Amino acid sequence: MEKRVQAAAIWLLMLLHGAAVAQGERTRDKMYQSIVGAGCFRRLNGTHQTGCSSTHAGSVGVLHLIKVEADLEFLLASPPSPPYAPMIPPHLFTRQNLLRLIEAGPKNISVVLLINKPDSMKQFSHELNCPNQYSSLNNSETCDASNPATSWNPWGTGLLHEDFPFPIYYIADTEEITKLEKCFEKFNNFEYETHALRSLCAVEVKSFMSAAVSSEVCIRRTRFINNLSGSKYCDPLEGRNVYATVYPRNIKTDDSEVNDIITRERFILVSCRLDTASMFDGVGLGAMDSLVGLAILTQVANLLRQLLPPQSSLPDTKRNVLFVTFNGESYDYIGSQRFVYDVERFAFPKASARRAPITFDNIEFMLDIGTLDDIANIKLHALSGTPLAQKLLQQLNSYAQSPRYGFNLNIQSEMSYHIPPTSAQSFLRRDPRFPALILNAKPANKYYHSIYDDVENVAFTYANTSQDFTMLLDVSNTKGFRADSLQMKVRNVSSIVAMALFETLTGKEYTGSKVANPVLSDEFFYCFLLSADCPLFKAASYPGSPKGLPMPPMRYVSVLGGPQESSGWTYRVLGYLLSQQQPKIPKDNCTVLPLHYFAGFNGAGECRLTTQNYSSALSPAFLIDDYDWRSGNYSTWTESTWSLFSARIFLRPSSVHQITTLSVGIVVLILSFCLVYIISSRSEVLFEDLPASNAALPPPTAC
Amino acid sequence: MTLPEFFGCTFIAFGPPFALFVFTIANDPVRIIILIAAAFFWLLSLLLSSLLWFAIIPLRDVLAFGVFFSVVFQECFRYIIYRILRSTEQGLQAVAEDTRVTDNKHILSYVSGLGFGIISGMFALVNVLADMSGPGTMGLKSGTELFFVTSAAQALSIILLHTFWSVIFFNACDTNNYLHIAYVIGSHLFVSLLTLLNASELYTATLLTNYIITILTGLLAFRVAGGTSRSFKKFVTCQ
Repeated sequence: MEKRVQAAAIWLLMLLHGAAVAQGERTRDKMYQSIVGAGCFRRLNGTHQTGCSSTHAGSVGVLHLIKVEADLEFLLASPPSPPYAPMIPPHLFTRQNLLRLIEAGPKNISVVLLINKPDSMKQFSHELNCPNQYSSLNNSETCDASNPATSWNPWGTGLLHEDFPFPIYYIADTEEITKLEKCFEKFNNFEYETHALRSLCAVEVKSFMSAAVSSEVCIRRTRFINNLSGSKYCDPLEGRNVYATVYPRNIKTDDSEVNDIITRERFILVSCRLDTASMFDGVGLGAMDSLVGLAILTQVANLLRQLLPPQSSLPDTKRNVLFVTFNGESYDYIGSQRFVYDVERFAFPKASARRAPITFDNIEFMLDIGTLDDIANIKLHALSGTPLAQKLLQQLNSYAQSPRYGFNLNIQSEMSYHIPPTSAQSFLRRDPRFPALILNAKPANKYYHSIYDDVENVAFTYANTSQDFTMLLDVSNTKGFRADSLQMKVRNVSSIVAMALFETLTGKEYTGSKVANPVLSDEFFYCFLLSADCPLFKAASYPGSPKGLPMPPMRYVSVLGGPQESSGWTYRVLGYLLSQQQPKIPKDNCTVLPLHYFAGFNGAGECRLTTQNYSSALSPAFLIDDYDWRSGNYSTWTESTWSLFSARIFLRPSSVHQITTLSVGIVVLILSFCLVYIISSRSEVLFEDLPASNAALPPPTAC
Repeated sequence: MTLPEFFGCTFIAFGPPFALFVFTIANDPVRIIILIAAAFFWLLSLLLSSLLWFAIIPLRDVLAFGVFFSVVFQECFRYIIYRILRSTEQGLQAVAEDTRVTDNKHILSYVSGLGFGIISGMFALVNVLADMSGPGTMGLKSGTELFFVTSAAQALSIILLHTFWSVIFFNACDTNNYLHIAYVIGSHLFVSLLTLLNASELYTATLLTNYIITILTGLLAFRVAGGTSRSFKKFVTCQ
């Protein structure tokens, strides 16, 4: 009896324990753990597809951590339980290794994970050696991919232009990497011979891309008359160029002709690139490869706006400076090709801007700001040594070397077909005699167009001075920035450019002591590299408008309906810096463009006369009927649509376990069929006694 | 994809009930109707249980509470279906082509018990089966690979138990055998609470106990339905 009580007590205890532990939880949540990261996606041009896609249901591979190159051999030689998903640190993410993984085929390698462990990384650029090679000048001298000395991205692997048969997933967060590594160590990283016999930690990546083959095919499928589902397979890369002028242009009256060109207008076109590129969705700041140029253009705009006298007191009162930031330049110069296309057709600015069209005859010359990786090595590029180029070079150098300012820079020149891959190529392609001058430094960016071209690559530290960034400073006032800081470098280069342009416009040497303000660069880089919730963006917005997100704006050109964050912010910043304050106009009257109300530095609000606007950056290839996709005349890049990016880890059951379960199930099924058949066919024998309950009931009445 | 695992577990849990259905239910429309009706009544009990769980917010996380009342509701509905079947007996006799249904009271209780069991087993396992069709198996954070097979075996035992319980319960109600009624409710409660131990992965303990109770209950049902050791002997020796 005592024993029974004891047993009952034990059962009771266990039940209580169970009641305390048991919690309602979905089985799935116990099986899967999601992994946060960024996916590589598919882009297409007129002839090829590039990038990656998973299978439709999601690609599954067994995790395998690659620490040294030899670890790859294990996966490539004869993997015991394929397919595998190698986790590769950036220094092993090389062209050679990736090509070997492609060669191993999706049967052996189904997923590749890039983990953010940049300790041993020396370089990481997956752009071509010659960026935008096929839409640049068709000349062997312009860029030679086989010769690192003359190529524009000597560290480039060209992987951005490869087509991968597996998805590549980038995991930046250290916590997520730890999750993966722990799972690998716990389940996979021992007794490799028995991999086939046990459950292994695996990853599933879902990033199925709906477009395939080429832009031509996917546009045709999307437009196809039988596409009743209305689904889109790809979208053209599309963004907005932002432009602004130093002096406001006259607003057309209604009675003037649409194509009423003002032939006397003269523009100096100052341009740079607005966008950047990287392999992974939503990652990639392009700090050195394009943001430095944009910062310099912004500084030059601010300087010229404040230094130049009123337009009426210039020697030529019809001269003006047109600042344009081209979008989508990373993908075969989308923005500048469209600009050239529009200008040829008298369609720039667009009709809704109510300004006279600008023609090529109106453009005096173009000064294109390219990549300025190393400001000690800046060159002025031009196709031929025209007097214009010589004069500008001499002006630039007079300020760069002037002891008054102490910039101590020497700008060299190169007048040949060795032209850097910048927007000017689109202009020179149309007409080699176009007066295009390009400021570009010797390539020194080992992270060109990659996820690692970030704050660290440009060695930026935010000073957070909280001081007025719009006003110009005396050359001796460095605001505490070190001479080799990014802010000072940008200050120096932009001051030189602005002074040279000042001299060109006014015909007089610049003798003032005011130069660009390093605080403006400081705020500019903070906004674009660290957080869009920043003083500069706030000042350039309408007072009380919603704050920017506490993350850097996305600078990939994207597609129609994409975020277009960077063009939006650039529009506001250029609008703010290139406008003239109108203190007499009250806020209520300051609603119709070109008048715009800005919050201003102190947030009090000010009415300004603005000049900025957007122009479309959609490649002309998508506008021309029956465009020949193989002609190579215009950019044909499209981006595939996809429904989701996701990754999760789980245990992949061994085939032995699966087969066992299935066989047990089948045996149970067959056995039960036999048993039930025998019992039911002979039930009279088994249940011979008269059922007790029947006896208790009244006998059924006759029917 | 673990489709093999999915089918294996489906066969384990629903193979025997399917065989029972094919050989003993499918050829008689009246039995099919009763099976479905019983399943419907089990669903009603589930609805009540979930309403109670939903209403009493502070006890939502205490699974034992829900389990207890769910068992109570199920047994109540077992009684209700007993009353209904007994009161419609006359009508059934009129429409039934196969008079065995009404001649042998145990067939009705067996059919309604199987209906109870199948729907209960389905609800126990379908969620798990749905999660199983993905590429993964149990065991990343906790749990073992055997989780799915165990769940399937558990579902099978519940299906069989419900069948046995109904046979015992209906007969006990007919004969006012309160001991048998108490046994049905008691063992149902015990088995249900026992499954809570699965959270601590005591699969062997729970499954073993579960199947011992299933066999005992099966024997009791066999006795109640008129089987004896003598008839079993005759059956086995094919006389």
